Amino acid sequence: MSDAITLTLAAQPDHVLVADCIAANRFLGLDAKQIAELPVVHGGHVAKLGDFFKVRGERSSVVRIEGDVPRVDAIGAGMAGGELTIEGSVGRDLGLAISGGRIEVRGNAGDNVGGALPGAARGMTGGEIIVRGNAGDEAGARMRRGLVVVMGDGGRAMGEGMIAGTVLVFGKAGPGAGRFLKRGSIVALAAIDRPGTFRYACTYRPPHVGLLLRYLRGRADVAVADRFLTGRYERYSGDLAELGKGEILQWAGD
Amino acid sequence: MKINGVTIADTFAEAFTMRVARLVITGRTGKWAREAATKLTGFATSVIGCKCEAGIERELTPTETPDGRPGISVLFLTMDKASLPEQLIVRVGQTVLTCPTTACFDGLPDAPDRLAIGKALRVFADGFQASKVIGGKRYWRLPVMEGEFLVEETFGMLKGVGGGNFLILAEDADAALAAAEAAVAAMTGLPGVILPFPGGVVRSGSKVGSKRYKNMVATTNDPFDPTLRAITETALPDGVNSVLEIVLDGTDAPSIEAAMRAGIPAACRPGVNSITAANFGGKLGPHHFHLRKILA
Repeated sequence: MSDAITLTLAAQPDHVLVADCIAANRFLGLDAKQIAELPVVHGGHVAKLGDFFKVRGERSSVVRIEGDVPRVDAIGAGMAGGELTIEGSVGRDLGLAISGGRIEVRGNAGDNVGGALPGAARGMTGGEIIVRGNAGDEAGARMRRGLVVVMGDGGRAMGEGMIAGTVLVFGKAGPGAGRFLKRGSIVALAAIDRPGTFRYACTYRPPHVGLLLRYLRGRADVAVADRFLTGRYERYSGDLAELGKGEILQWAGD
Repeated sequence: MKINGVTIADTFAEAFTMRVARLVITGRTGKWAREAATKLTGFATSVIGCKCEAGIERELTPTETPDGRPGISVLFLTMDKASLPEQLIVRVGQTVLTCPTTACFDGLPDAPDRLAIGKALRVFADGFQASKVIGGKRYWRLPVMEGEFLVEETFGMLKGVGGGNFLILAEDADAALAAAEAAVAAMTGLPGVILPFPGGVVRSGSKVGSKRYKNMVATTNDPFDPTLRAITETALPDGVNSVLEIVLDGTDAPSIEAAMRAGIPAACRPGVNSITAANFGGKLGPHHFHLRKILA
């Protein structure tokens, strides 16, 4: 058993590589050889993870991917526990429908972070995803439970169709954020393009936001300025075209 | 054994197993956290009449609280498992939920027994409540007129200890009070211990049952009442004209011992004759705090 398993990209994929076999909890019972044998899809053809990644370590739920892997999709799909860190950027479908554990991306992430499988009613149902760079469209879409943090800018339709959970975005959030949201929170520390189906409620200091930011600062080493911890937030209830029990909280100053 | 000329009786305090919870109450300022904590722990001196015992354990700095605000740590004890959540739901609902700016967190996160306090209180929000899971813990957000009240869903419960005690036997009431105040000051803020009585001090120590009234579960401790010295089987040495008792509850026996080790020497002041303790012959409570052993 190793302290951690490290995957290092050995051969750049020529096409999109779907590596939904990479999930921290899944590696806990596997040795390095077994991990390398796990199936991936490369340009529509089945291949092995070991064809692209050098595997070091075994039987651990702490996994680290070295380097940029922007052409690798679905990393962490269905993950249920453990810790997965990607040192660079990743492709789309990061943490697709995860139910537990923590994924951290040091670079950017593509579309559908923590999202749902095509046709599925629910996206992620638990766990935490932290993207230190920018995220593509639909981060946290159809989330049932859990936390998605985007420290850069978010794309279009962040938290679209959320059922519950929290999406936190430090940078700008693109149009359509929170559209069709039933419950759950989108916390925006910068500009957010709100749908017209959200209605202003009040400006206040939501206690759970300070608690969440403090948790991220302490546990996940996320740099959070004090003004966000103690500041005031505008609360917009929505989506009023849906259940209307969700919210967009936009930072409004000290 | 003597400390500063004060005799330490060769006896022990007898204490009982209780159920204990620790609540961390935070507020926008320390004043508001204390307001809530004071109300929460009001009328909670003895299970005999209050059905619970509670007190402020210590003040917490912003770095010690989950939400980074000033806080107060409170210990809350009852005699059995069932009555602890009953008391907490009613009291937190009426005293912390109602208090401006406060939030309420569990102070025993590692305790396996969980009490669904926030889960019960959430219904005050009439369907408008919302929950958040942060770091694996669920919190309930209750919309209130001021804004929002945040309370943790569950609180830990441990087996604690109630009824640790010592008695200060003094030449007069002034000396007894000064000694009691010094003892309380020495014990205030020690971890895992509360002094549930007013100012930490009891003037009306009790014995079990009654000599005269069948329905009374506790009555005056007449062997230690100086005014009854001449007409009852007194336990008071000559020259003692006033007695005050310090009662200690805690999360565990070592915490109570540590507090007694700090408090008893502080009470050994001029005008104090001796320090003793209340027990029931060792037949009722499993925790025996031998004064001389603790102070050795």
